[in-house]
Amino acid sequence: MVDTDDAAVVTRCLAGEHNAYEAIVSRYQRGLFNVACRMLGNYEDARDATQTAFVKAYEHLDSFDPNQRFFTWLFRILKNECLNILRARRPSEPVSLDLPAGRGSDPVEVRERHRAVQAALLTLSMEYREVVVLRHFTDLSYEEIAVMLGIPATKVKSRLYTARQQLGDILVEWRVAR
Amino acid sequence: MSTFNDQWRDSEADEVSAMLNDLPQVDPPPTMIDSVMSAIAKRSPTSTTAPPVNFTRKGGTMAKKVLWSVAAAAAVALLIMRWVGYPPVEKGTEATIGAAQRYQAPQISNADVKLEDAQLQAFLQSDVFHQLTTDKAAQQALKNKDFQRALADASIRAALAAPDVRAAIAGAAANAAAGARIDAANNARLDAALRSSDALRAALAAPGVAQAIANSALAVALARSDAAFALSNDVAVNAVLSAASVSLDAAAASSNAAANAAAK
Repeated sequence: MVDTDDAAVVTRCLAGEHNAYEAIVSRYQRGLFNVACRMLGNYEDARDATQTAFVKAYEHLDSFDPNQRFFTWLFRILKNECLNILRARRPSEPVSLDLPAGRGSDPVEVRERHRAVQAALLTLSMEYREVVVLRHFTDLSYEEIAVMLGIPATKVKSRLYTARQQLGDILVEWRVAR
Repeated sequence: MSTFNDQWRDSEADEVSAMLNDLPQVDPPPTMIDSVMSAIAKRSPTSTTAPPVNFTRKGGTMAKKVLWSVAAAAAVALLIMRWVGYPPVEKGTEATIGAAQRYQAPQISNADVKLEDAQLQAFLQSDVFHQLTTDKAAQQALKNKDFQRALADASIRAALAAPDVRAAIAGAAANAAAGARIDAANNARLDAALRSSDALRAALAAPGVAQAIANSALAVALARSDAAFALSNDVAVNAVLSAASVSLDAAAASSNAAANAAAK
């Protein structure tokens, strides 16, 4: 599962060629930023968390294990940044679901449904939210998610099942799902 | 066998999955790469400023090995210092660690022996004490400083405790009870006994002492070694005098009351 390209870029960066890091940012910015968006539900916060994660990863490149996937390592850094932002939010502070609308036949209706699903996602605890986000917003398999979270694949599936049920209950209550 | 509720839950989960998959991908800010690259341009990865880092099989670094080695060496050094007792502890730096210095009273000596409370209580509750408090002559004798000094002398008390002296004093007391006037100077037996002690003889030379011993109630008290010992204590003497004054005050008050009643 080792990405030789990532390992090579890391080696070049550690050798002092910091411009090589641009390849890493370009490759993972979309996936990492979408994960941050779904974890935080806010565009600005997601941008800050993603940028900070990239910078911190660069500062600690020497602690990266080339035997693991770079995205796995990046995700752990990003998750910590998301947790820091969530902790900094006041409990009573409403979350601005300021995410761009997708394409649909009825933009207004679809956009409202997207906002409701995102809002329901934010009601999940972090352990359920991260499983849903990694499964539905990245191309990772159950096994890869299990390695990333440090839990068995069966645990990933059970958490995903419970998370979907909780989301379904919330969306039914909000009359978004039938 | 799945129930209707399970089927509903599965279909609901499928619908939720569809809703999640329908959420659009969000494009990252176009300035993301530039922002990150400009931020890291001001920084450097650790390896560019620190010595080259060798990756280990578990992803750790040699720096961690050095850290653990230094920590282990420090622990060994501390153990050796503890074993050989270096650096030595200066006197007075023991602080609260170690045995506490507790107060240790010195052994009691003869000079520390005082009239015990029990002895004093026994004397205050005795008939001798009552007799002394009601005998004006005895009180006058006890006020005599020479006599008090004589009683404070252990050798005089020893002489007074001698059987022949106590017999002589008891005889004098019996004579007093019979109404005969005790005259120590004329009582040859008592005179011989009292003069058997040099200290007692010196005390008797003082004015008032012989007269005090000749007093009947005091003679009875001195005939008893415990009472004589008690009277050598200032507390006992003051107790006799204080009790006597109270008795006198009460008697005076009683007589005044009787006089007032008679006047009415």
